[in-house]
Amino acid sequence: MSRSSWGEHDWQLIHHGPQPPALHMALDQVLTDEVAAGRRAPTLRVWEWASPAVVIGRFQSLRNEVDAEAAHRHGIEVVRRISGGGAMFIEPGNTITYSIYAPLSLVEGLSFQESYALMDAWVIEALGELGIEAWYQPLNDIASAAGKIAGAAQMRHAGAVLHHVTMAYDIDAARMLQVLRIGREKLSDKGTASAAKRVDPLRSQTGLPREAVIQRMIDTFRRQHGLRDDALKPEELAQARELATNKFHKHEWTAEVP
Amino acid sequence: MHGEYKMPGGKLVVADLEVHAGRLCRVQVSGDFFLEPDGALRAINAALEGASASTDEAGLAFAIQSALPAGVLMYGISPEAIAVAVRRALHEGMQA
Repeated sequence: MSRSSWGEHDWQLIHHGPQPPALHMALDQVLTDEVAAGRRAPTLRVWEWASPAVVIGRFQSLRNEVDAEAAHRHGIEVVRRISGGGAMFIEPGNTITYSIYAPLSLVEGLSFQESYALMDAWVIEALGELGIEAWYQPLNDIASAAGKIAGAAQMRHAGAVLHHVTMAYDIDAARMLQVLRIGREKLSDKGTASAAKRVDPLRSQTGLPREAVIQRMIDTFRRQHGLRDDALKPEELAQARELATNKFHKHEWTAEVP
Repeated sequence: MHGEYKMPGGKLVVADLEVHAGRLCRVQVSGDFFLEPDGALRAINAALEGASASTDEAGLAFAIQSALPAGVLMYGISPEAIAVAVRRALHEGMQA
């Protein structure tokens, strides 16, 4: 199989109204499988969050990463996603999240590092148009001179690659630090004493409302790669709801790495 | 016992474990790394379970490497980095 280019694919946009955290986790699994099976064209999905959440990586220890009591007190749901990487603290109006579901051919023969760079390129361009000089920061961050803007995670499964990114639009650092346990070892090579300082939110940088930032990002993707407006198929949504209930809401999955 | 290691140029690798009769048990490797397929984490934990607590880093790394199914992909983690996290957990446990 030889590598395909962005332009060879008929990209679809899904931008649904707010959905609960576990359903987002399930949609990533379902839509990756649908693209792998060839039942869905390659897709960009922009997420809207119905409620706050902590999303932990596939291999993170639940108790090492999250103060469950504090999360409960603040009404924050803890969910585990299907990709690796680190914990994300999500507040609906503070976060911009999207997923790209692409055939594996798009990253065929590329190293992990090369495929992160490839998948992040359009958003680096979009940020540039918003006046933010940003770059892909290996292994899986998007950063500017002022700090981290976003974290990406990738998962290759069967015939598809999932690349999803959470960007900080704004941040309540105090609340984040109450809920996430961020160890000293994690910060050791970042050269900063405070986890809050590691994040550089888009709001202060652009002065634009969150919705406007999202629209500009979508415009950039559409111009670069083409993008048709699409929606979730009823059967995709039904399958995701079933998975949310029977997998992503279950303690067995969330505590799979206790 | 709990050990953490931030792999240079990589991700955080964490080892939680106990020692009974000089052997590792209840080994749980975790972290913000990338590993495919995801079931490889079980193989890594299983490779460490029952290892002598005196095994050095190279020996632990070899045990992990040998247990990995063909085709496993690691990003931000390596058998050597896991071995460092395990040795750190053991070291911390001995001091406690």
